[in-house]
Amino acid sequence: MSAADQEPDRAGIGAVYARRLLEAVGYPSITVELAAEHPALSAARCGLMALTGPADGAPLPCPAPLAACADGALAALAALAPMGALDGLRGANLLTERAAIAGHVRAGSVSPGGSCHLLQTADGAIALSLTRDDDWELLPAWLRDGSDIGAGNWGALAANVRGRTMQALVEDGRELGLAVCPMAPPSSRPVPWVQRVAGRGYSGAAALPRRAPRVVDLSSLWAGPLCSHLLQRCGADVVKVESLSRPDGARRGPPAFFDLLNAGKRSVALDFSTAQGRRQLQALLARADIVIEASRPRALRQLGIDAEAMVQAHPALSWISINGYGRAEPMAQWIAYGDDAGVAAGLSRMMFEVFGQRVIVGDAIADPLTGLHAALAAWAGFRQGGAGLLSIALTDVVRHCIAADLVAGTSLRERTQVWRQRVDEAQSLLRAGEVAVAVPQARVAEGAAAMLGADTDAVLRDWGVAC
Amino acid sequence: MANTALKAGGRFKSAVSDVQIMVIKAPAGEHALGCGGVPMLGGSETAPEGVQMDAADSGETLIGKRYVNEDESLELLCTKGGKGTLSLNGTALEVKQAKQLPSSD
Repeated sequence: MSAADQEPDRAGIGAVYARRLLEAVGYPSITVELAAEHPALSAARCGLMALTGPADGAPLPCPAPLAACADGALAALAALAPMGALDGLRGANLLTERAAIAGHVRAGSVSPGGSCHLLQTADGAIALSLTRDDDWELLPAWLRDGSDIGAGNWGALAANVRGRTMQALVEDGRELGLAVCPMAPPSSRPVPWVQRVAGRGYSGAAALPRRAPRVVDLSSLWAGPLCSHLLQRCGADVVKVESLSRPDGARRGPPAFFDLLNAGKRSVALDFSTAQGRRQLQALLARADIVIEASRPRALRQLGIDAEAMVQAHPALSWISINGYGRAEPMAQWIAYGDDAGVAAGLSRMMFEVFGQRVIVGDAIADPLTGLHAALAAWAGFRQGGAGLLSIALTDVVRHCIAADLVAGTSLRERTQVWRQRVDEAQSLLRAGEVAVAVPQARVAEGAAAMLGADTDAVLRDWGVAC
Repeated sequence: MANTALKAGGRFKSAVSDVQIMVIKAPAGEHALGCGGVPMLGGSETAPEGVQMDAADSGETLIGKRYVNEDESLELLCTKGGKGTLSLNGTALEVKQAKQLPSSD
């Protein structure tokens, strides 16, 4: 059967995906409402396609149903959320909001944000994200040749790694804490997007407490904050907890984006270097219904926090551990950001097979996809009276989306051809001035995010924690 | 161990505990790297027989942390945690302040 023959079913893939997600979190038979739309049109409509492809050429369609899966994940959450809580949101549009605000555009083998590059090595391509100027100081130790590559000199770095082997670069880089991965093919086996690590998991039991859930969000940047933003839309009381000395770096990014994700959350800032600060953190976590964090397990253990022990002691807790590659060793030590996680999951390799070009798909694509999935995992756990410690890996989420529509034996190139035709047809039906391949759009924040620590005393008091 | 030239990317292990480190940056010249008061081992070196941790050293070296000397000309990354304080030429190293979180990925 050719890819074209399967086309009639494609428009329903978002709804199919939503039902699959709900089944994984204990709701095998729940109604999902989602308008049918071909996945290529979803990607074009939301701006994802515009963010993919060479800087000096036309946008390229990615033959993975990422936008449809984002719509499906939001529809799944909406099926469990209070009526109307998520009205006006579209999952796919959440994939491109940051690019719209920050002005990011497609840049071929470089991520729209600029910090992730695909680099050619002697035996394959790797993705490397260097998100801070400080990260460049690790390069002499990584490359072990004493050559001095100045911060930001990607050209010199690309030339340096060209003769080296991929495996050594990836292994050494991971040991140093660099976000580096091979440009891997997609997984041929199905991958779960959420894994129970400890506690009772999804029982499917209806145990919805009468009050809104308390959420403690320790995460930063995009995936975790988007997750708690969606929970807030569902009615949760969200407290954003940050380290006084190391607050969420996104506070230094575009204010419109930080406000969009964080407006309405209360801000608590604690000094994790003191025993009192760590005690207060412990106390907040013990009083939460949902915890969102994206730290490596050892980083929390060094603060005296043991997620496994917390969910055993508090069975009503749903603890969402967002990570790059899961919590098993050695992967628990590996760093991933949104762009390189998409590469590790197979997106860039798929594009290479179809177009023969090294291309990053979307803007930190794994971040918003993971935020959407994590919100569903958290809300489902809360509704069931606590689901324990749940691991959601950026790479697994993207793999899961790819696998939603990866049919063995069909040619990616043929499928992409059909998908591109669908976009061209849609364009031909539009009036002058209308475009099927839209540029990213962002919502406007509902107010400004709280200043760092603005609500520390109030939250500690409300939640009965000693100041 | 005689003093050794330290190079970025060089790896050393403790002679008296599980600690392993990677050199991130190092000052020129030859230096003595220690853990638990005992010289650390490079490459294929093995611990001398009967060597013991300094009984007065109750310190611990933590995985993932960076350690620096006073002027930060030396920086080590702990790749495996364990007992013992890291030292350069007999002076204890300090934990480096964690880097700021990135503003964007």
